Amino acid sequence: MTRSSTRVPPILLLFVLVPLAVEGFWVFWPALQGFWLALTNWDGVSPPRFVGLDNYARMIDDPVFHTAVTNTAIWLVLFGGLSAVSGLGMAVLLQKERRGVGVYRAALFVPVVFSLVATSLIWQVLYQPGGIFDSSPLADPDTALYAVLVPALWRQVGYVMVLYLAGLKGIDPGLYEAATLDGATGWQKFRHITWPQLGSVNSVVLSVIVIDSLRSFDVVWSMTRGGPYHSSELLSTYMYSTAFQSLKLGYASALAVVIFVLAFGVIVTYLVRAFREN
Amino acid sequence: MDRRHFLRVTAAAGAGLLVSGTASCATSASSGPVTQAAGTATIQSNLSAPAAKAAIDALVKAFNDRKGAQAAVNTVASETFRTQLPSYLTSATPPDLFTWYPGALLKGYEEKGLLLDISDVWQTMGDYPQSFKTLSGKVFVPTTYYWWGFFYRKSNFAKWGVTPPKTWTEFVDLCRVLQGKGVIPLGMGAGSDSPWTASSWFDYFNIRVNGAPFHRELLAGKQKFDDPRVKAIFTPWREVLPFTDPNGTAIGFQEATTAMLQGRTGMLLTGAFFADAAPKDAIDDIDFFRFPIIDPKVPLAEEGPTDGFFASAKSPHVKELKEFLTYAATAEGQEAYIKASSGTVLPTHPNAEDSGTPLVTKGRQHLKEAAEITQFFNRDSSDALQPTADAALIKFLQQPDQLDTILADWQKAAQQVWSS
Repeated sequence: MTRSSTRVPPILLLFVLVPLAVEGFWVFWPALQGFWLALTNWDGVSPPRFVGLDNYARMIDDPVFHTAVTNTAIWLVLFGGLSAVSGLGMAVLLQKERRGVGVYRAALFVPVVFSLVATSLIWQVLYQPGGIFDSSPLADPDTALYAVLVPALWRQVGYVMVLYLAGLKGIDPGLYEAATLDGATGWQKFRHITWPQLGSVNSVVLSVIVIDSLRSFDVVWSMTRGGPYHSSELLSTYMYSTAFQSLKLGYASALAVVIFVLAFGVIVTYLVRAFREN
Repeated sequence: MDRRHFLRVTAAAGAGLLVSGTASCATSASSGPVTQAAGTATIQSNLSAPAAKAAIDALVKAFNDRKGAQAAVNTVASETFRTQLPSYLTSATPPDLFTWYPGALLKGYEEKGLLLDISDVWQTMGDYPQSFKTLSGKVFVPTTYYWWGFFYRKSNFAKWGVTPPKTWTEFVDLCRVLQGKGVIPLGMGAGSDSPWTASSWFDYFNIRVNGAPFHRELLAGKQKFDDPRVKAIFTPWREVLPFTDPNGTAIGFQEATTAMLQGRTGMLLTGAFFADAAPKDAIDDIDFFRFPIIDPKVPLAEEGPTDGFFASAKSPHVKELKEFLTYAATAEGQEAYIKASSGTVLPTHPNAEDSGTPLVTKGRQHLKEAAEITQFFNRDSSDALQPTADAALIKFLQQPDQLDTILADWQKAAQQVWSS
C-alpha cells in the first residue's frame, strides 16, 4: 500500500475536526462539567462548593425525588409501552395501500407537528372543570399524571407509527407470498415474518421511546408544573424546578446525571443484547 | 466571559444535553446580556405585558426627552428574566439597570457584592416614607406598588343585597348569605400555572392572627412552619373552606377572575393588577374591601408589593444610571409611568399623582392606614421557598384534615431550601 492512498486530504480533515471541536466545546465539555457540578453546592452566583457525593446521598431521603422516580418509571412503562404497541398496531393496520389510507396516516401524524406546549393548552381546555369531566383530572393528585400522559401519548403514537411504517415497507413482499403459499395465518405471518424483520426498527423505536420519556418535560411543565403537590413530578420537571426555581444547581446536576445514567443504561443494555443476538 | 458565567452557561448547556426537553435553559448562551451603546444606560426589563411595557417605555421616553443622559429598555419574558438573573449579574458586561423588587434574593446579591450602592440617589428622595427606605436598603429604588384585597362587583353585591364586611364574623356571615343564594362566595384560582395565589390567603391569615413581625421571621427561617402559632391560622381558614370554590385548585388565576366578574363567585382575594385585564365596562363596577380583621389587638398589616429598579455593580455607566434612577424616583417620572400604564399601580413618591380613579384613591388610602406593609410570600422569603408553599397550601385546600403532616413536610422542605 502506498503512502499517498492512506493520506487524508487536509480539507477533509478540516471538515471533520472543526465540527468535532465545536461539538466538543459546546456539548461534550459542558456535559462533563455537569458531572462535576453534581458534586458541588452551587447557587449560580457564588463559586461552587465541593461536597462530594452529598447530593446523591440527599436523594435517598428526598420524598419528592422518590415520587419523581416512581412517576418516571410509570411514565416509561405506560408512555413507552402504549406508544410502541399502538404505534405498531396502527402501522400494521394502515400498512396496505388502500383508498384514503393516506388521510388516516396524516391524521395520526398531525399531533406530532404541533408544538407540545400548544398541545397541552388544548388539552388543558378539554380538562377544564365542567368540560368532559366535572372536576379537572389535572387538579387531582391521583389522576394528574395520567391526565398528562394522554396528550403525550396522543402525540407519540403518530411518531412511532411512522417509524414502523417505514420498517414495514422494507420487508420483502416475497416472504409474505411464500408464507401464504404455505398456508400461514395472519398471526403466524406477523409472528414469524413481520416481527423478526422489524428487529432493527425495534431498537430505534426503543431508543426513541426511552429518550423521549426521560426527557418528557414540556407537556408536564405546561399542564401541571409537576403538581398538585408534586404528584405528577417527573425527574425532568424536578430537575428543572430544582435548578431554576430553587437555584440549587448542584443538586439539579446530580438529578441530570441520574436521568442520563438511566437513559444510557437502558439503551446500552438493549443494544449490547441486540448485537449479541446478531 | 468570566469563570462563573462560563460555568453557568456550560451547566445549562450540559443539562440541556442530558435532557434536551428542557432545552429552554440551553438558550442562555444566546439570550445573554445586550450590547451597550456608549453613554446609554441599558435597562433589562421583565415588564413584558403590553400595559406594563408601554408604561416603562413612556418613563424612558420622558427621561430621554430631557436631553440629559440616555437610557434604553431591553424587554425579556419574565420567566426567562427570573431564571437568567444570576447569569446577567455575573457576566462580564451586565446590563446597567434591572426591574425587580426588594426582598431576600436582592439581599443575597447585595451581600455578594453584585449590586451597586446607590445611597446618593436616596439623598434626593427625602420625602419618601421610612418604610420604603428600610425595604430598599442601599441598592434599590422603589417606583410603584399595589395592594391586595377582596375584590367584588358593586352591582352584584347590590343585587344580592349584601355589604362589605369588616370583622371576621361579618365575613363568615356574608359567605353564608351568598351560599344561600346559590353563589359560590369565595373565588380561588390556585390551579394550573398560578398555585402561588393560594399564598395570599396564607400571608393574610398569618398577618391577621400572628402579625407582620412573626410573618417575616417565619418567612426568613427564624420560625418553623410546624409551630403551633402557624397551625392556629388554619382554623379560621378551615371555617371558610366550605365557602371556597371547589374548583379553586383546578382553575387558574385568569379563570377565577372571569368567574368573579361574571358573578359565578362572589369575591376574589387578589392584587389590584387583576383589573388590568378586566374589560373596560367592568372596571367602574369593581370595588374591594380589606381582608377582615380577625384579632383587633394585632396591628393592621397589608400586602403592598413594591416594584422598582436596582443596578449592577459592574456597570460602566454609573453616572447615567444614577441620573435615571433619580428621575424614576421623582413625581414627574412616576406620573409619566402611571399615565401610560393601565392605572392600578400606585406611585411610591408621596406627592406623585396616581391615576385618580376612585378605586386607586381607595387603594392608596387602604395602604396608608396600615401600620405594617408586607410584600408577598415569595418576596418576603424567596422564589426558592415559593414552591414549598404551593405544595403545602394546595394540599391543605384539597385535604384539610392532613394539616399536621402537611406542616411537618413543609417545614422539612423549607429547611432544605434554607440550608443550601
